Amino acid sequence: MGAALGLALVLASCGDGKSSDGGSGSGGAKSEVIAIAADPLEYINPLNENGSPGIQIAMAMFAPLVTTDPNTGKLQNVMADSVTPDKTSQTWTIKLKPGNTFQNGQPVTAKDYVDSWNMTAEGSNAWKNNGFFSKVDGYDALNPPTADGATPKPTAVKTLSGLKQVDNLTFTVKLKVPFSQFGLTLQYLGLAPLPEEVRKNPDAYKRKPIGNGPYKLAADWNAGDDIKLAKWDGYKASAAPEADSITYRFIPNADTAYNEFLAGNVDFTDVPSTKVKSFKTDAPDQWVTSVSSGANYLVFPAWDPRYKNPKLRHAFSEAIDRKAFADLVGLSDPAKGLIAPDINGYRPDACKYCDFDATKAKQLLQEAGGFSGVVNISYSTTSATGQIFAEAIGNMLRQNLGLQVKYTGKQGSEITELADSRKLDGLRFGGWGHDYPSIEDYLTPMFKTNGDANFAGYSNPALDAVLAKGDAEPDQEKAIKLYQQAEDIALEDMPLIPLYTKSNAYLHSAKIEPRVSKYVGVSALWATFK
Amino acid sequence: MIRFVLRRVLAAIPIGLVVTLGVYALVFAMPGDPLRELAGDKPIPAAVLAAKRAQFHLDDPFIVQYLLSMKDILTGHFGTTFAGADIADQLRLRIPVTLKLTLLANAFQWTLGLFFGIYAGFKRNGWVDRSLLLTTLVLLAVPGLVAYFAAQYLFGVELKWFPVSGVLEGFPRSYLLPALVIGVLGFAGLARLLRTSIVETVNADFVKTARAKGLGEQRVLWRHILPNALLPVITFIGLDLAGMFGGAIITESIFNLPGLGQFMFQAIKLKEGGVVVLLSTLAFISFIVINLLVDVLYGVVDPRVRNV
Repeated sequence: MGAALGLALVLASCGDGKSSDGGSGSGGAKSEVIAIAADPLEYINPLNENGSPGIQIAMAMFAPLVTTDPNTGKLQNVMADSVTPDKTSQTWTIKLKPGNTFQNGQPVTAKDYVDSWNMTAEGSNAWKNNGFFSKVDGYDALNPPTADGATPKPTAVKTLSGLKQVDNLTFTVKLKVPFSQFGLTLQYLGLAPLPEEVRKNPDAYKRKPIGNGPYKLAADWNAGDDIKLAKWDGYKASAAPEADSITYRFIPNADTAYNEFLAGNVDFTDVPSTKVKSFKTDAPDQWVTSVSSGANYLVFPAWDPRYKNPKLRHAFSEAIDRKAFADLVGLSDPAKGLIAPDINGYRPDACKYCDFDATKAKQLLQEAGGFSGVVNISYSTTSATGQIFAEAIGNMLRQNLGLQVKYTGKQGSEITELADSRKLDGLRFGGWGHDYPSIEDYLTPMFKTNGDANFAGYSNPALDAVLAKGDAEPDQEKAIKLYQQAEDIALEDMPLIPLYTKSNAYLHSAKIEPRVSKYVGVSALWATFK
Repeated sequence: MIRFVLRRVLAAIPIGLVVTLGVYALVFAMPGDPLRELAGDKPIPAAVLAAKRAQFHLDDPFIVQYLLSMKDILTGHFGTTFAGADIADQLRLRIPVTLKLTLLANAFQWTLGLFFGIYAGFKRNGWVDRSLLLTTLVLLAVPGLVAYFAAQYLFGVELKWFPVSGVLEGFPRSYLLPALVIGVLGFAGLARLLRTSIVETVNADFVKTARAKGLGEQRVLWRHILPNALLPVITFIGLDLAGMFGGAIITESIFNLPGLGQFMFQAIKLKEGGVVVLLSTLAFISFIVINLLVDVLYGVVDPRVRNV
């Protein structure tokens, strides 16, 4: 029954595609099929989800507190009526709009948020967005250290001391330390509330989620099925996307998804890395690209004294022809800063040592006293292009600095593990994309001492101090200035070399026009119909 | 007969243990932390990590992990995958997909293989025989990956004769194209084996005797040559069929058929030892059972090796 219905839906949507191609535009239901190049999801629970397929579905079925306006890049309210920090940015008051309900008809209250967040913050539940709450007062009481191999026991304390319900629609969040960017982090879909009946028994609702967003499940959703969503009339928190129904089709092989698009069976898909050179001719006038987002680096090992001298690292950086490398990667731009170009506070020429200059590179290397031994470059064998990129960098270092270079291919996770235990030899590639659009979400994770994604094992107390100042600065413009100072310090020390930023390409059928935003990228969910 | 079957089953038990232990050891020896693979670049909080490690016994020594996995398999408590999928559910969904694909593919392969093998064997050095030799050489040299994508593009995207991927159109439509490609790529070995076997048998003494007795050519072909020539082919087909629970990893991935092959691929990617061992055990059992059937069938065809 489920399968038959699925077939009917997909066929119907194909039919729509053809009729609107003919330019009839006869009203009708606006439906789209979006390919997701991943294995089928096993459950929908935004709080226990940090992968991109799950969050993509959550965006349709749940609504965030706030979101980034795709046209202006400014924060705008969705479920929230206001988000206000105190003078130090340590305690935040969140007021909800009245009148919003879950898809089961129950009103969304401050209690729903507080209880859902407490559940997620409790370590023994092992929900994936647990880490978000580590900034909130009282997190440690819910996440006591566990001995190796032991199962974390449910804690006696069940609530974060920093979360307080004030009235039916208001709650406050007290953070461990001031954090001026906290308001921006609230747009994460992984913070969506669950209604009371789901909180009581989350497992029972794994496959029949009750959201508070613009779409709800249109059909029973069983293991391995595509996800079929229909517009939910009860959504009032903000304007809703145009589509009346959306089918998310899981096609783990990205090249297969691409072929399904060419055959006219899906309306939207990512362009896989293997098709970067051919998609414009395969689907003329049916592609869009996002602005570059995220950034990619070459990472030095902070634990190896041979790479310790910043002058030597500058020499390496000057020896790299970023333009040529970006062309090799495809759809990419040379990076001359540590943050992505779509972020407020980005400076296109932040880096003083990122222009290709072989003479200057040699001179810097000489001043640094040269380099002894062989430079090893590790690349991930799980990536189709890892070896090619490593050899491109290696050749530039050989030719422009006269260094000896070797290459080591390993599984990506093994490289990370070796680096974490400070045993990795030489250089490796690293990349970072923000969780929330703030310059801070590049600097803190990668450069703060013991940061979550401090690839290089880098530490500089001066940088930590500037970051702390920025975190405590309630004025966003001033805060950005402080973060830029931190970026300058990091570029001067150069624990990692900026290489390139990459845009993504997507294909879309003739009947839809995906929303393309300079600030939030490309969205099929928010596509307009022709 | 029963004693023969029993002996074979008993002999399979230690082999099964060695095989599963070996497979588990291989997965265990793969570099990288499985949970890190699951998380990508994002950091996982210590508490979440500890809870997951405990759930999947990842902190236990190798042999304890293996024994716990085997206990789960033998008691039917399959549990969930790292990603949270119920493994019993997954098997229920995936086994039929893989069965449909392999049986259909084998049907194509046998039909093509037997037909061309017999024809070429009886009319050797004719043009069919010669072009078969050439075709099989070419087919054996084509990498599956290329052939699958090419067929998908040509017959799915351009000509639209078959669905591009997925199982939405059900059996047999969704399975036809991948099964045909497997069949066409795979029949070469069978056809050449059968041809050679027929050529050898044709010159055997008992065939000459049959001819000397004045039997008709048709009777010599179908009653004397073919049954004897088919003996090695039965072994070949048996081995081929037995491999089917391993799933066709590449085919299932390219044609997006949610079978055991894709499951195995994900499990290996994520280093999920428990799932890999479960699937290997399934493959092993099907191997033992089918080989047993082949041996029994052998006895039926060839009285010399009858085990009654």
